[in-house]
Amino acid sequence: MSAARPCLYLAVAASPLAGCGEHQSVLNPAGPEALRLAQLTWLLFGFGAAVLGIVILAAVAAVRGSERVRAELASARTVAWAGIVFPSVALTGLLGYGVWVTRASIAGPGDESMLRIAVTGEQWWWRVHYPQSAGPPIAVANEIRIPTGRPVLFELRSADVIHSFWVPNLGGKVDMIPGRTTFLRLRADRTGVFRGQCAEYCGGPHALMALEVVAMSATDFDAWLHNQRAPAADPEFTIARRGRELFLAAGCGACHAVRGTAAAGMIGPDLTHLGSRRSVGIDTVATSEAGIAHFISEGQHIKPGNRMPPFRIFAPEDLNAVAAYLAGLR
Amino acid sequence: MRSEMSKRWPRRPARIAGWLLSGVGGLAAALFLFAWSGIYNVAASSGHWTIVDWFLAFGMRNSVSLRSNAITAPALDDPDLIRLGAAHFHGGCAFCHGAPGIPVSPIARQMLPSPPDLATSMRPWKDEELFWIVRHGIKYTGMPGWVALERADEIWAVIAFLKRLPALDAKNYRALALGDVELVGQSGEELATVESNPQGAGACARCHGAEGSGPASDLVPILHGQPTEFLMAALREYAEGSRPSGIMQPLAADLGVQDIERLAAYYANLVPKQAPSTAGTRPSERGRALATEGDPANGIPACNACHGRDSLARYPRLAGQNAAYMAGQLRLWAAGHHSSTSGAAIMAPIARRLSETDIAAAAYFEALASESAGARR
Repeated sequence: MSAARPCLYLAVAASPLAGCGEHQSVLNPAGPEALRLAQLTWLLFGFGAAVLGIVILAAVAAVRGSERVRAELASARTVAWAGIVFPSVALTGLLGYGVWVTRASIAGPGDESMLRIAVTGEQWWWRVHYPQSAGPPIAVANEIRIPTGRPVLFELRSADVIHSFWVPNLGGKVDMIPGRTTFLRLRADRTGVFRGQCAEYCGGPHALMALEVVAMSATDFDAWLHNQRAPAADPEFTIARRGRELFLAAGCGACHAVRGTAAAGMIGPDLTHLGSRRSVGIDTVATSEAGIAHFISEGQHIKPGNRMPPFRIFAPEDLNAVAAYLAGLR
Repeated sequence: MRSEMSKRWPRRPARIAGWLLSGVGGLAAALFLFAWSGIYNVAASSGHWTIVDWFLAFGMRNSVSLRSNAITAPALDDPDLIRLGAAHFHGGCAFCHGAPGIPVSPIARQMLPSPPDLATSMRPWKDEELFWIVRHGIKYTGMPGWVALERADEIWAVIAFLKRLPALDAKNYRALALGDVELVGQSGEELATVESNPQGAGACARCHGAEGSGPASDLVPILHGQPTEFLMAALREYAEGSRPSGIMQPLAADLGVQDIERLAAYYANLVPKQAPSTAGTRPSERGRALATEGDPANGIPACNACHGRDSLARYPRLAGQNAAYMAGQLRLWAAGHHSSTSGAAIMAPIARRLSETDIAAAAYFEALASESAGARR
């Protein structure tokens, strides 16, 4: 038991290291903003470690040191310099440095060269709009695609309560506040999928309010955006055509839009190109016919408390038809 | 002296407890022996001793009075509420309690206690007490509780009728409880071979109307021209108890699979009936907006998306429906009324987002021209 105890302490002490993985991690920057934050993190960590070391040395000296050293430590001059002047100067300096480092990423509306993406936090998903020079914006949800190497300006809003937008691999965390627009500039320097998470408790399934930023090469991104701009294609197969009929008759269009059909609902996510997204219900179910069907009928079990009622009115073959239609919206 | 007392004191409570315990034990043993021996006569035909009768009635009155204390009766003079209550009374209560022109069944009369004939001798209960009795029933009397305890709205309809009952003669009672239903006299052969339906107790038309006539009360939905699939689903849900209603559950539970199909097809194919719209009221702008566009900012989808002409046959049509009925259903959902049907799973969360103004705006549908969905499918 006495031999096991140090191992246990070590295991407990090491457990925060689990947060240092590559996924959704501040310590694994994928862009300049995140890199600056990571550097700031290491600087603060190093500085804190140095101060801790000095404090430990001083404590040892205060107990074991010679009479002269102890007198020196207890003198009014030491207390004034090390206890008042040093912390004031050091903390002010670090704060100034932190603000200076992050100033660029939260500065207001940027210039025309930036890609603008409007993200609205809603209970409990992300409404994402790519504004167009003409016509309505391209609406997607929960999955944000960006090109690498180009600065992106996020306009962050909230539709209900305070949410917070945070993609740790790409940059800092910015609150989405009802009635205000906040801004965040990010750039991804390498391709990859970077997970984000609502970082302000927003009720019910807040913990499941995640998002993914997919950084792609500029050409891939342009192709993707071009595809998203198009209305939904007509279904190829009979089952999917039947699915579309059921989708409209069952009232799905009251909350969801599928551009190119009568479905124009604004309450829930736009489904025009649902089949091209990586997951359904934010990161909970893979975008497959089975996954979509499962979410339609059992969404309240997958993401408890979400605003979509469970639709268990369909016969199995009808549910499969609706799922086939939606999965085919690529 | 004092020391003697203190010596005896600790022993006294112990001795008293001992006596009490053996007394209680002896009594329990005597009671058990009494029941075990079979000496007690459980015959309903023999009645109670007067003293027992008085004691039981005394206990019942006090229990009902105490337990109904926290209840407050709503307004009970709405003629539609009274008609709904009358129609249920006719099918659910008259067998045991009689009605003007309908004597208590001889079988029910042999119960102990024999159920009071409410047409002639109803105890002067308060409304709240009657509500409590109808809701919970009374132990040892054969009076059952309400099938769906949560449907206070239905129970109050019965109470509204009971208040009215003493003043009714046979003719007025029939008009109130049977509405436009004409009881067809059965031939001798039919009487002999077909399960008869005494006094039309199970007739759907008493509440819902039939060909040529609409519902008797605006608290009752118009079924004429609704989609067959929707009507069948509703009857099945009542029958299996997933849709709570003390009025509909017992009736639907009596229907076989084919009865449900035939009944649904009958109403689906009737010419749609229009709710007798309250004259002079114009449909509200809010109602029109909710029906056609919804209120996206508040998470309310457009009603017409599911209740329109081309919607699934699984959904009811609302055009021309009774506004009071629709508002009542929405309020039940908004109040968190528990229903485990697949339809309620969709509608209840939406109803909870509606304000009282929004619910009142459902009257918009009442004024719309109804059209048959049943015949089209």
